[in-house]
Amino acid sequence: MDVEEMLETYFERIGEIPNSDRFIQCIQCGTCGGSCPYGMGTLFTPRRMILAVRAGIVDEVLSSGAQWLCTSCFTCSLRCPSQIPITDAIIPALRELSLLEGNPPEELAAALMNIARYGNSFRESPRKRDKWIKEVDFEVPLISKKKKAEYLFVTECFGAYHRRCKEITKAFAKVMHILGVDFAILGNEERCIGDLVRLCGEFGLFEDLVEKNIRVFEKYEFDKIVTHDAHAYNALLREYPKFGFEKEVVHHTQFLYNELEKLKELFGKLDYTVTYHDSCYVGRRNGIYEEPREVLKAIPGVKFVEMRRIKENALCCGGGGGGVWLDSFIKEHIKERPAESRVKEAASVGAEVLVTACTLDVPMFEDALKVTGLEGQLEVKDISEIVLEAIES
Amino acid sequence: MRICAVLRLVPDLVEELEVEENEVIPFRYMPNERDEHAVEEALILKEKTGAEVEVLGIADPDNEADIDEGLGMAAAKGADKLYKVILDRPSYKRAELAKALAEFLSDKNYDLILTGIQAIDSFAGNLGGMLAKNLGIPYIGGVVEVNISDGEVVVKKELGGGLLAEYRLSTPAVVSIVSAERPLKFVPFTKLRQAMKKAEIEEVELELPEFEGIEVVRYEVPPEPEITLIEGDVEEVADKLIEALKEISVL
Repeated sequence: MDVEEMLETYFERIGEIPNSDRFIQCIQCGTCGGSCPYGMGTLFTPRRMILAVRAGIVDEVLSSGAQWLCTSCFTCSLRCPSQIPITDAIIPALRELSLLEGNPPEELAAALMNIARYGNSFRESPRKRDKWIKEVDFEVPLISKKKKAEYLFVTECFGAYHRRCKEITKAFAKVMHILGVDFAILGNEERCIGDLVRLCGEFGLFEDLVEKNIRVFEKYEFDKIVTHDAHAYNALLREYPKFGFEKEVVHHTQFLYNELEKLKELFGKLDYTVTYHDSCYVGRRNGIYEEPREVLKAIPGVKFVEMRRIKENALCCGGGGGGVWLDSFIKEHIKERPAESRVKEAASVGAEVLVTACTLDVPMFEDALKVTGLEGQLEVKDISEIVLEAIES
Repeated sequence: MRICAVLRLVPDLVEELEVEENEVIPFRYMPNERDEHAVEEALILKEKTGAEVEVLGIADPDNEADIDEGLGMAAAKGADKLYKVILDRPSYKRAELAKALAEFLSDKNYDLILTGIQAIDSFAGNLGGMLAKNLGIPYIGGVVEVNISDGEVVVKKELGGGLLAEYRLSTPAVVSIVSAERPLKFVPFTKLRQAMKKAEIEEVELELPEFEGIEVVRYEVPPEPEITLIEGDVEEVADKLIEALKEISVL
């Protein structure tokens, strides 16, 4: 593609994304670049990306690789005085150009191809998606057998396949089981929900996933979707309705908060100092700040401390927006990954456990513990794991 | 210059294989990765020299639909012509395939025929060599880069131990590729689907000869390796590890 074609494709794409007409309202204030976790490591901050597109040098942005230095953390979008959809439009549309040019970072390309072929980024068999249910000591019902349930539990790829994240899935399923919740899973009929695919600019694959997923959802009767995957929550809440799928979607932090009175009766005592990491697509993007804090504070014996960067100012784990597939690429551009800075911050406020509410966070932070030497001093747990621990203690 | 790249299907090992005594039944097939690199290198040559690239997808009646995606991918990346060669049976020897393919290719006047160096179901990597022998033309394998210099084909070949060598080839020739000189080009989903819809694929049925001499006795799955997880604190783990190493006479 020459630059003219690139610009035409770019504007055609952002034209399809709500509020992207605000692109022209960019006043070049630089709030975005100053807020960006990678702002110091890139030639093109969002402000300069917009400027480059206006100046017709979009090819220079692409060759710098800056479009891949975005974790989709949404801080720039939230702070932008012109409310330009940087995270949902400006950057994914640039990434799409990179994909069309055929040269995205290899790790990310492999993940996208795996999702297209197998419905998950792990290059695992779609027929093994429900394998985790054989690793628990209670029955996890399949909706294909049950036909009807109050909650459809969406595990998403990390929750179904990733060795560590599967433990979160099992913990949350067990909490639901203990509470006697009427829930079921899609099992092997589930496939990638696709939020990271969308944020990576693979819009065609995202649409295909949405259409296939909606066809499966429509086969069964359920009232709500519950998920512990922050990006699945975001896509089901904000993107799937655009394709005609409208069901109530509950994040597991909200679910646990709604069940808090029952949980309180079950809670035993724990003896931890914990802090809570506001995952971008739970907190900043979707405004869930107090529910997880209330749940943690309700556990007897838990001492709750806050980090310095919290709620809408929380630092990203670096895994979103495809960051989880860009580790080696990102390491070439920055010295300290955001997850490393974040675990240091958690340790500095005296936390023994860093509690999160997004499946991507746990592997990102556990890797960071190894890099920073904080392993042994700080543990990373999902909120459902700590809730289950309190129930079982 | 006219180039032909051969694209075979191999079992997709993400899914479990069903192994019976005289048959291996894959759940599904995917393009052979080395052949994808051969196609990529052919397309790189097209970028460098304006060569014409034709891709020959090899399938059989059991898996012929599985080759469409690989051919669509080649079309999306700029291949000029696509063939789907449907073999008359799913199980065959490489020598039989080489013979039949050579007959099909003999009047096509390609300057270069590119194949992947090997496939997961063909470790010996002998298709390229046998194809060249049947066609009576030169063969070189282990190639990582193909260039045209002063009208001649010059290839870089891996010699092992980090050594590279350059060879000049007369054409026509068969070249087996280890990997293309750049990573496989990414093709977005929509572009691939559009290419698959638009692609004109010429179907060719190919009868394989039957060669005597080698017969399958049986297929078998190797026994699962025994894995013991040593648990406990550091001292305990060290003690148990020493004991285990003594047991197998390492210590």
